[in-house]
Amino acid sequence: MSQTLEKSLFQRKQTGFLLTPDTALAEMLQKLWSSEVLEFTVFDQGGKAIEHLFNEPPDLLVVDNRLSDISGREIANLVKSENVYRQLPVVVCVDPIDVEEPWNWNVIEVDDFLVRPFNPSEVRDRINLTLCRAMRALDANPLSKLPGNTSIIQRIQRLIDNGEEFALAYCDLDYFKSYNDKYGFARGDEILMMSARLIVNTIRSYQGVQSFVGHVGGDDFVFILPPDKVEGACKRIIAAFDDIVPHFYDPEDRQRGNITSVDREGNTKVFPLMAISLAVVVNTDGRIQHYGEVSSIAMDLKKKAKEDPKSSYVIDQRKA
Amino acid sequence: MDENLKTSIRGEILQVKDLPTLPHVLNKVTTLVEDPDASSEAIAKVISTDQVLSAKVLKMVNSPIYGFPGRISSIQHALVLLGFNVVRGIIISTSVFDMMVQAMKGLWEHSLGCATACNIIARRAGFEDPEEYAVAGLLHDLGKVVTAVQLPDLHASILDTVQAKEITYFQAEKDVLGFGHDRINAWLARHWGLPPNIREAMSRHHAPQLAEFYKPMSCVVHLGDFLVRLFEFGNSGDDQTAYLRPEALIELKFKMSDLDKVMDEMSDQLLEVSDLTL
Repeated sequence: MSQTLEKSLFQRKQTGFLLTPDTALAEMLQKLWSSEVLEFTVFDQGGKAIEHLFNEPPDLLVVDNRLSDISGREIANLVKSENVYRQLPVVVCVDPIDVEEPWNWNVIEVDDFLVRPFNPSEVRDRINLTLCRAMRALDANPLSKLPGNTSIIQRIQRLIDNGEEFALAYCDLDYFKSYNDKYGFARGDEILMMSARLIVNTIRSYQGVQSFVGHVGGDDFVFILPPDKVEGACKRIIAAFDDIVPHFYDPEDRQRGNITSVDREGNTKVFPLMAISLAVVVNTDGRIQHYGEVSSIAMDLKKKAKEDPKSSYVIDQRKA
Repeated sequence: MDENLKTSIRGEILQVKDLPTLPHVLNKVTTLVEDPDASSEAIAKVISTDQVLSAKVLKMVNSPIYGFPGRISSIQHALVLLGFNVVRGIIISTSVFDMMVQAMKGLWEHSLGCATACNIIARRAGFEDPEEYAVAGLLHDLGKVVTAVQLPDLHASILDTVQAKEITYFQAEKDVLGFGHDRINAWLARHWGLPPNIREAMSRHHAPQLAEFYKPMSCVVHLGDFLVRLFEFGNSGDDQTAYLRPEALIELKFKMSDLDKVMDEMSDQLLEVSDLTL
């Protein structure tokens, strides 16, 4: 019950709104977590909570179906119909009689439900699970399902804080846009999926080392490996990418080795086949203090890597 | 796509089920996958010797789950994109039928020989990615495996018909089933979402002149099948002389001297291949 945030499942303190006239339920939920880990604000009427909800959305909403002024379903739907709050996990508390008839979960878009009588340890873990699931779903890239920016930043900062040596590679695709423009976004997505699989499998084949792959968005990926492994990985990724990518072009374009597409100004232009550029930042001797430095160094290097129209990598050689 | 094919004589049905693989390949791949220094080339090479495992790997990487259906036709690319975990999973889930090893022994050697021949022919013809032609060659008789495993009685009738009427296995299939393995191939390849070039070569290797979109690959497999039978390497179900379509040689721009060179290379490489089948 008095677990510290550090030992909990969460990266930061979580806040929850509990909407219930049931004081026993409120007491139980408030006891299950220390207020440092998950703190509940309790409202005995639904109406009172709504303004707070929209002004300062919590990380979790628990709604009791016993509310007298407004139904739990209505509150859930109010929250889920707004794209800004859609990701907020909602759990409803019900009595057995409420669920005798099946609910239409397509209409009541909640994330989980709890049935009376409550078993405290089950309630604790169902809510922990709901919060963890929401965090994963929120950060993962919807296309590749790889961890997104929040996870990437956390991972980099953790390595820096622990004083670990690491190499971080930024990967992006050259001429992806012209491919997308010519063949359409569905085939563009195929390229992103292929690239994600290729990077993940190459990085995972280094067993027993600290590694990580994330998807910044669009055609930008990152991976982390120990400094002594990174150059080999870059070479392998480039070789595999250059080998595979021609198969995603129509036979004529592939044979010609370029595509004709229209640029932003409406001019018809010839673009080479896609290539992959890798910019690697190496953190040895603890010279980097903050993740922001990593990305700014990487952006400088990226320009250099992109000067070469073929696939290439640039490794930051600066010493502390 | 229909899940089943109904045979015409006894109305029996072929179903899409998991196909078995061969144990020695399984062992080799397992050892390589567990070795952190093994390259994907080495693993791809071993997997390529097994038609069932190759088909499974290609089926998996071309499934909609990975998001690029019908794009990948080389085993090595498939390994890079699937990763060792998935490949290991495919191997574990692939059951081994001892009966099948017995029933299909000659056919496996025939398929392996045909794959080797297709690789040589494709390189001679100056085509890119000869490994893809080898995959098509490896898979060209897969339909026969399906019949043998799923309809053993009808498979026996086909073999009896080959003997009694002194006809090819292909003709006997048509007599007994009402269709040949070319049609089973088309049905399987579509069901598995294999790339269109492999699919067409698998279904048109007996009639490459009818190939619509990938005639060169269909012609390569047709010629590979013919030559490996000529060498009497393995057994594809009969000992008849195959018919070589002249259109295939014209399509590949092959002269007799090209055939000679291909056959010279084949006699060298088939020796190596026969080591694998022990």
